[in-house]
Amino acid sequence: MKKSARVAIAALALLAAPTVLAGCSDSGGGAAPDSGPKALSIATMTLPQSLDPKDASGSALPFFQAVYDTLVKREPDGSYSPMLATEWKYNEDLTELALTLRSGVKFDDGTPFDAEAVKANMERFRKGGGAQAKTLNDVKTIKVVDAAHVTLELAQPNPAMLFYLSDAAGLMANPADFAKGDALKTKPSGTGPYDLDQNLTFIGTRWTFTRAPGYWGARLPYDTVTINYFDNETAIVNGLKTGQVNAALIQDADQQISAESDPKVKSTKQEFDFQGLVLFDRGGMVTPELRDPRVRQALNYAIDRKTMLEKIRQNRGEITNQVFGPSTAAYKPELDGHYSHDPAKARELLKEAGLGGGFTLKLPRIAAIVSDALAASLQADLGAVGIKLSWEDVDAGSAIKRIFTDRAFSGLVMNIGQSSTDWVVVGELVLPGAFNMFGYTDDTVKELLPKIQGRDAQAAKAELQALNEHLVKDGWFVPFYRMTFLHVSDGTVTITPQDGMAVPSIYNYAPAK
Amino acid sequence: MLSFIARRTAAGAVLLFVISFLSYTLLSIPDTDVGRQLLGQGASQDLVDARNAALGLDRPTAVQYADWLAHAVRGDFGTSWFSGENVMRAIANRLPVTISLMVGVTLVTAVLAFGLGVWAGVRRGAVDRFVQVFAVVGYALPAFLVTLVIVLVFAVHLRWFPAIGYVGLTESFTGWLSTVTLPVVSLAVVSVAGVAQQVRGSVIDVMRQDYVRTLRARGLPPWRIILRHVVRNASAPALAVLGMQFVGMLGGAVLVEQIFGLPGIGSMTVNYTTRGDIPVIMALVMVSVTVVIVINLVVDILIGWLNPKARIA
Repeated sequence: MKKSARVAIAALALLAAPTVLAGCSDSGGGAAPDSGPKALSIATMTLPQSLDPKDASGSALPFFQAVYDTLVKREPDGSYSPMLATEWKYNEDLTELALTLRSGVKFDDGTPFDAEAVKANMERFRKGGGAQAKTLNDVKTIKVVDAAHVTLELAQPNPAMLFYLSDAAGLMANPADFAKGDALKTKPSGTGPYDLDQNLTFIGTRWTFTRAPGYWGARLPYDTVTINYFDNETAIVNGLKTGQVNAALIQDADQQISAESDPKVKSTKQEFDFQGLVLFDRGGMVTPELRDPRVRQALNYAIDRKTMLEKIRQNRGEITNQVFGPSTAAYKPELDGHYSHDPAKARELLKEAGLGGGFTLKLPRIAAIVSDALAASLQADLGAVGIKLSWEDVDAGSAIKRIFTDRAFSGLVMNIGQSSTDWVVVGELVLPGAFNMFGYTDDTVKELLPKIQGRDAQAAKAELQALNEHLVKDGWFVPFYRMTFLHVSDGTVTITPQDGMAVPSIYNYAPAK
Repeated sequence: MLSFIARRTAAGAVLLFVISFLSYTLLSIPDTDVGRQLLGQGASQDLVDARNAALGLDRPTAVQYADWLAHAVRGDFGTSWFSGENVMRAIANRLPVTISLMVGVTLVTAVLAFGLGVWAGVRRGAVDRFVQVFAVVGYALPAFLVTLVIVLVFAVHLRWFPAIGYVGLTESFTGWLSTVTLPVVSLAVVSVAGVAQQVRGSVIDVMRQDYVRTLRARGLPPWRIILRHVVRNASAPALAVLGMQFVGMLGGAVLVEQIFGLPGIGSMTVNYTTRGDIPVIMALVMVSVTVVIVINLVVDILIGWLNPKARIA
């Protein structure tokens, strides 16, 4: 008897264990607990570094848009409309930007949003060392005219300022929190449409935003927005099919096909990222052979883009040879097909450059971007013309250091978003910076840039197109194709793609009619 | 018994210390520039250096470790370098998910594996062959394949369970049950197969013992011999295997958590390790080692309780 009692107690204790352990705290993930019609559950594979605006970056922007407003709002079509700034005006040569601020907007603790707040935010952002801090490099001084007016004085003309103010650099946090150390990282405080619900948020897995009472602006359709982080698209697509996820962006071609196979799933296509080889080393610092434009052209001729697009992305994309996207002024449709797949021509160019015997190109391989299929196909294509491509595996921890600090490679195969703002593209890929780490330039670029920089993109269209054409023909890059991304919903949500951004803004979701 | 527990606890503490030192040293070896990772490729080297200094990364590893240890013994594991959240709070948020899985799988395994193993060991013949085939197949199938098939069939097609996500036990019991069922079943296939084999083997061994024959000869009812004598004596090795399975699940959980999108310790370990977030990784290592130590202690106590001969150890 005694023994069986002991067995029973042990069994009970075992049964009780999960209850006790799991009961010690509530856990995140999955759908919002109360998935009524006014709750939206978005799945993402982007992990924001923190919720402090100084750490904000493009792909994590929706997290920030929920809690903070930007000075300028970027509409889905890429046009700008008033948000915390109601009016703006550039001077003639694009060196001064005057902003008129919305009056009567307050942060949660009553701190007014005014010109001083803008100055404090922008100065903190610029010095904060975040990934986007560089976007305010050209801002020399932030002049407070009065409570409702600020003027940004730029060190040199910058036609992309409005884009930056509608992006990370334009996010406005409560300056009263700046003195509280790292508070904003986990307790964001802005004037935005939602507040972060600390009780239902589990940083790193699930963030729950609830409607901010008394929001000054237009009411968004959802009372709560939950953003769930997943590290693989399989889980996202499964969740979408079974209704735990309402909306997501799917990049992988196979997962796109899997999502579309469900009749309930609604999808919208968008071409945003291009995949390609960014050659940093046109000056030949690491691989001297790349100094010759003919060698860079040979790389372009050697690649069989059509087969790659077919095999790697199931034809979900468009072949391209240019880094400027279709919505920029610089874009020229005919440049998408400038380089055909022509191994004979590639070999000829290499021979002319005195490299008949070929050469070795060492590239870093980030497994998340360069799949086995892509790695093998590039190796085969380049090998066919005598270029030996050797991959060096870099893991997430060492990639940035090896590539950008040690500058150990001549290029990098990656996916790069195609901004619709010409000057953003120029800033990222042409000017000296992360993707032009050796600061390479040439006479044509030097001649064209000043004509582009001081003017609106449409006004400088001819010069922008000339620049684009030069970059393509001189082989600055080896773009493969623009990838078709798929915005998918479980049928309950209408998603409006955001121009110039892979992930839609938080304002772009509405209940399906 | 108390002195046994005390000795094992002391040994556990020493083990924790040694592992923490080794882990910290190993984590410091890779060529990761944390400041650069945090600030991105566009940040100037001065900013990167400043950030590294602010995190104390410019100090020698031994000093960093001593600093970490001084805080850790007081239960302060610091904040994540990347997300800025309190490490213990982050782990406390996720631990229930993984513990739900581990305990769930252990319970299912204990019941099914013992049932099948005893059935096969006692009945032999066709039943035995069936259990053996199940065990071999269950053990040989790749876990990810089993999991994917289970998701496709029971979640995506039949819609009996949610395909992803986790609902906390405090939020809703039925929600919790529906979100952990498929992950538990996926993990249990392999562990049931392994433990059932072990139980079967032990049961067959014990059935051949002289004392079982004697008990039979004395006319005791067969079910009583099996429950009171055979199972009890056959349990010890099976319990040891079960304990190992439980510990091994800390690793197996990674895959299942990823496929089911569960915010547990497994997926957390993967995400934070690749970024080199030392405060989080160290805390995860400490939590995992503690779980292993506690489980081994519990298994030893249970075995001792079942088999007095083993108590001396």
